[in-house]
Amino acid sequence: MKDQVYGVGYRRLPEGRSARWAPWPIARTALTLAWRKRSTKLGVGLCGLSVFGHGMALAAQVLAERFIDTGMGGASRAAETVVHGVIGDVHTTLANFIGVQMIATAFLLAMVAAGLIAEDRRTGAMELYFSRPLTRRDYLLGKLLAAGLVPAATLVLPFVGLWLFAAGMAPPGAVGPMLGLLLPGLLGATIAAVLLTATILGCSALGERGRTVGVIYVVGLLVLTSLGGELPASGHRWAGYLSPPRNVQTIVDAALDAGSSGLLLQVLSSRPEANPSVLLATLCVLGLSALGLGLLLWRVRKEVAG
Amino acid sequence: MLLALHGVSKRFGALRALDGVGVEIGGRAVGLLGPNGAGKTTLMRVCLGLLTPDEGELRVLGIDARRDPGAVRMRLGYAAEGPHRIPGLSGLESVAYAGELCGLPRRTAILRAHEMLDLVGLDQARQRPVEEYSTGMHQRVKIAMALVHDPELLMLDEPTSGLDPGSRDELLQLIVRLRDGEGPAVLLSTHLLHDVERTCDGCIIMDRGQVRYAGPLEELQRQLGDDSYELRGSGELRALAEALAGAGHQVAWGDRPDSLVVRLRPGAGPAAIWEAAEATGSSLWQVMPRRQRLEDAFMAAVAQGGAR
Repeated sequence: MKDQVYGVGYRRLPEGRSARWAPWPIARTALTLAWRKRSTKLGVGLCGLSVFGHGMALAAQVLAERFIDTGMGGASRAAETVVHGVIGDVHTTLANFIGVQMIATAFLLAMVAAGLIAEDRRTGAMELYFSRPLTRRDYLLGKLLAAGLVPAATLVLPFVGLWLFAAGMAPPGAVGPMLGLLLPGLLGATIAAVLLTATILGCSALGERGRTVGVIYVVGLLVLTSLGGELPASGHRWAGYLSPPRNVQTIVDAALDAGSSGLLLQVLSSRPEANPSVLLATLCVLGLSALGLGLLLWRVRKEVAG
Repeated sequence: MLLALHGVSKRFGALRALDGVGVEIGGRAVGLLGPNGAGKTTLMRVCLGLLTPDEGELRVLGIDARRDPGAVRMRLGYAAEGPHRIPGLSGLESVAYAGELCGLPRRTAILRAHEMLDLVGLDQARQRPVEEYSTGMHQRVKIAMALVHDPELLMLDEPTSGLDPGSRDELLQLIVRLRDGEGPAVLLSTHLLHDVERTCDGCIIMDRGQVRYAGPLEELQRQLGDDSYELRGSGELRALAEALAGAGHQVAWGDRPDSLVVRLRPGAGPAAIWEAAEATGSSLWQVMPRRQRLEDAFMAAVAQGGAR
């Protein structure tokens, strides 16, 4: 059916409209569009599976410790052992969660955020944005918000949720020392979220096709993580700094050591592999994040200045 | 005043896209005419603040566009040339999104988007993704996106390029309705003279980064002279042509073998033609004032600039 030009008149809008915060519609629309893709739903499923798996592991570990406790008759010595066991297990699982979830979130981000800048350039949408009363800052904030909400929802919030889940099931004596795990873990999850957000947007600012950017991003992250995990074992200790999850783990460990009581440190029997220098690990994380944000700023300045 | 530019220049490397552009123009619909590469799109992008001019003063709707591009864009609607779109969004979502980016609350933006899509005549297809649209539908969506926040000036960059005659006609009708109704003023950039002739009351003619003419269309046609006549007759037309040329008028043969086109020298009236015909024994059966077409005016304005 052919469309017709109707005799609808033009209506003026009332005067005095208040200004609204433009980044939110940008972020919301980007996330809505991403959600329409099947690959995004798969990515969300992957992240959800990881959260579920770690939740189940926590439940199994905590309940197993408590079951052993009940079986031993509840003596005071045994209760202390149970508390130590619970804290050690929760620490191991949560530390593992941050590392695994970083990779799972990178997969999801490749689907959601790899095209945020690249596709805008390819389709000419950038001109569409900047012919509206938008500033570069509004645009950047919108894109950062869209990309940042993903790791916030898959990494930071689930970490808090898992901690609460573990704390809810743990014996009363374990909750206090477990508080010492929350803040360092939260710091690690937040750093990982910032790092992933900055790097995916930096990659997107370099490319012109979302899919290509996403593939390169995930492959790059996997290669770095793999090199950073394997090479230090064969004597190349410097290679550990190539792995973003290992650097994040190093910072988390340092925060744990700095802010925890002696009791908590005594019961943490096993620690995930980390790099020797916290300073270098921090510099690597900061440098990578700054590089991503710098590329993003450079691209937007270049595009809009024409 | 829609646009007031004084000495605006913009270079891209060695290319002077705008070369000391100075123009002041108002009205309800203004055509921005010029051949490809004349600087029309650059002028629009400078007005929007998408490009910063190297020098010159620039006021759009009375606002200094260099100092406050955000305020200018709030009052401007711009439909760029080319397939600018956000893939995945439907036509309705695209228009509502454009409204939200201009500060409309979400609900208002959706209602306004429906209104604008009704206005531009995109009915059935508004729920379909924009990448499935034809060129004509796409142009309509772009105009609706440019209109959604109720701008005071609508800038259209080559809106009829690539359209079939029917869609082009409907789009021009829409521009005329906006011009004659309560809609925003329109700045129509095109190289199609007919589009400007049909929709605009004023025009800016650009060539090689410079403005050759800016003002009302009628004035342009008048400036180039309405003292041309097309003569048709029989007998000694060659002698008549020589006599008129000898008297200082410009004479050329017309499209037919029995016609002449005469442009009288200033101050002379049509009586000079009749006198010459009588003197040469020619019998004229048509002496018709030849109205200057926009195409002639455009070519003359561009040629004038080229000779400068």
